[in-house]
Amino acid sequence: MRTMIHIIETVILLCLLQLVWTFEAPVFAQERTETAASKYCLDCHVNKSTVKKFADGSFVSTHIDSHAFNESVHGTLDCTACHQEFSSASHPERSFRSKVQYQIMASRRCRDCHSDTVISSRSIHVALLRKEKSGEAIICTNCHSAHMISRTGAGPVAKSEDKYCLRCHSSEGRKSFINGEIISTQVNAAEILGSPHKDIGCSDCHSGFSAGDHPNNRFGSEREYRHASAEICRRCHYDKYSKVAEGIHYKMLSVGRLDAPTCVDCHGTHAVSSPERNRLSIVKKCAECHRQVYLAYAKSVHGGALLNENNRDVAICTDCHSSHSMQSTSSNDFHDEIPDKCSNCHSNPVVMGKYGLSTEVVKTYLSDFHGMTLSLYRKETWRHYGPPPAMAVCTDCHGTHDIARVSGADVRQMKTKLLKRCSSCHPGASENFPDAWLSHYRPSFTIAPMVFITEQFYRVMLPITIVGILFLVLLDIWRYYKNR
Amino acid sequence: MEYSDQSNRNDQMVRFGIYRIIEHLALIVLFIVLSATGLPQKFYYLGISQSVIVILGGIDNLRLFHHLAGVLFAALAMQHIIANFVGVAFLRWEPSMLVTLKDAQDAVQNVRYYLGLDDRPAQCGRYTYKEKCIYWLVIIGGFQMIISGFILWFPVIATQYLPGMVIPVSKMVHTSEAMLIFILVVTWHIYDSVLSPDVFPLNKSIFTGNIHRKQMKQLHPLEMEEKSETETVLLSARHGHTMAEDHKRTRQ
Repeated sequence: MRTMIHIIETVILLCLLQLVWTFEAPVFAQERTETAASKYCLDCHVNKSTVKKFADGSFVSTHIDSHAFNESVHGTLDCTACHQEFSSASHPERSFRSKVQYQIMASRRCRDCHSDTVISSRSIHVALLRKEKSGEAIICTNCHSAHMISRTGAGPVAKSEDKYCLRCHSSEGRKSFINGEIISTQVNAAEILGSPHKDIGCSDCHSGFSAGDHPNNRFGSEREYRHASAEICRRCHYDKYSKVAEGIHYKMLSVGRLDAPTCVDCHGTHAVSSPERNRLSIVKKCAECHRQVYLAYAKSVHGGALLNENNRDVAICTDCHSSHSMQSTSSNDFHDEIPDKCSNCHSNPVVMGKYGLSTEVVKTYLSDFHGMTLSLYRKETWRHYGPPPAMAVCTDCHGTHDIARVSGADVRQMKTKLLKRCSSCHPGASENFPDAWLSHYRPSFTIAPMVFITEQFYRVMLPITIVGILFLVLLDIWRYYKNR
Repeated sequence: MEYSDQSNRNDQMVRFGIYRIIEHLALIVLFIVLSATGLPQKFYYLGISQSVIVILGGIDNLRLFHHLAGVLFAALAMQHIIANFVGVAFLRWEPSMLVTLKDAQDAVQNVRYYLGLDDRPAQCGRYTYKEKCIYWLVIIGGFQMIISGFILWFPVIATQYLPGMVIPVSKMVHTSEAMLIFILVVTWHIYDSVLSPDVFPLNKSIFTGNIHRKQMKQLHPLEMEEKSETETVLLSARHGHTMAEDHKRTRQ
């Protein structure tokens, strides 16, 4: 009896197992191999040499890598799930104006399943949907590719995209330009990973390139290519770009001078970095074009300290000329802003204290005729009578790139130099004339004693006068009311 | 004490001639222009200074106005010196502006009176010691301003004959002396001639040329005595005199 019960139990269990097997079996089969319909399509689409041509001459390969497709997130779908018009019975011949138009049409199919509300959960899609409203079509395959769509949740698209691009670009390759110049297309992944751009994907900069698309853009020369590449930076770094657009280098470019430097010339391409970390490298970069200026600077008190001691406090090119919006040095504005630039360091007690330099230099300049007049000119945003005459600023006496140490210099020689400077605006200035300037010193008994004594005399006289008058007036009023 | 215009015109007596009235008016105008264009240069960093500079069309215009007013002030000062020198030397004008020992005594006497050590204030003549003090400070200070002003205006010419240091010294003198005169005028002179209980609301004699007898007796008792002894000058009688006679009389 007990044996009978065991047999019945076993039969029921087997029946249940059979039931489960019957339901599950087709599912397993579908995951492992193509469905009959897909297999039918691949009979032809396994062929690597066939292409679909478009009206404008562009084309797309019709080859499907069935293994890669099966690995993709859509691996369980039939071909007809997306290519709905096609079946084993029907293969309509459709014509498109261009590859892009084809891609746009194909992307509409994606949206049948991936509704706008679902894809809006990603900020990149929100931006794209906004663009779509303004008339720009979204091409899903540019980022996700067509048949080898990977699971985005597994990591940023960029990561897998990098891997995809680097399959080819990690090894040596060449890109040629119309003028015969050749550059390497090899990319050192370590450079990107060490840069601030490590979290963005290849196509974020190289737009138009994707797993499915690799346009062969032709450029006249390497310079043209570099300038075109720099335009890419604008999309994210618009603030810097707009500054550059105000600058002298952009003006050069706008009149066709391709030797004008562009973003990638100073910042590098894949190994992009903030140049501020290495101030010497900035100077060297500028020196590539401005050789004569560099030679003068190298001999100056600033350049000498930078080159010999790698001193981080001294002024380098970008401290005066700025890094993006370089102005023409012959402009009035540039000249008039020079005291501000010098004052950035020379009024800073922390920096000046290290070298025993006075922070009074800018104050004494601004309290004297030239500094005072200049600061007022700069407030005159409107003028009835043309641009204001040039006022002497720091560089007019100290020089620009060849600024020398003042202490220990030959006084007589300095005076001769100064007189020459004065005479350029004050024709007929005599040898006495430069003595009118107190060389940034506050008057004291040793320096400018006459000025000092006069100053002290009035410093005493003014309060005495004020107090005396107040005393007399108050006495007068007091006596008047006392007598009433 | 109020000496209103409604009081008997016979109570008025002549104190200043038309020449002094015009001279003083010119000085007021130039003082205001020079202060208005000079102070914004000294305190150029203040917002109000920059507003004045903008209103006058920029610092260049401001300096132009200052220079023009300075030239006129120099001319006014020169004619004053020449006219008075000629007047005193050849036309028997009384040098009533000269500082005398009596002025020092008056000052001491007045301080004693203020402090209650004396019953009477100082008895002054045509010009009180206060008026003389202001006058000479303006004259001496004015010449300092003129000289230092021209040095600052023409530094290249100045340093052809003088050491370069003269320019910062001139600047120090010009800016400090201006403050001294400005403070003296806007406090002491304005108090003495406008706000003081003796003359409030305004001592009009330098504008009308006339002074009330009571006020004359109070402020310039000695001159009053002198005049009363020789003649009684009534405003109503002025029609009988020529301007020249009037002028001569007031200059005595």
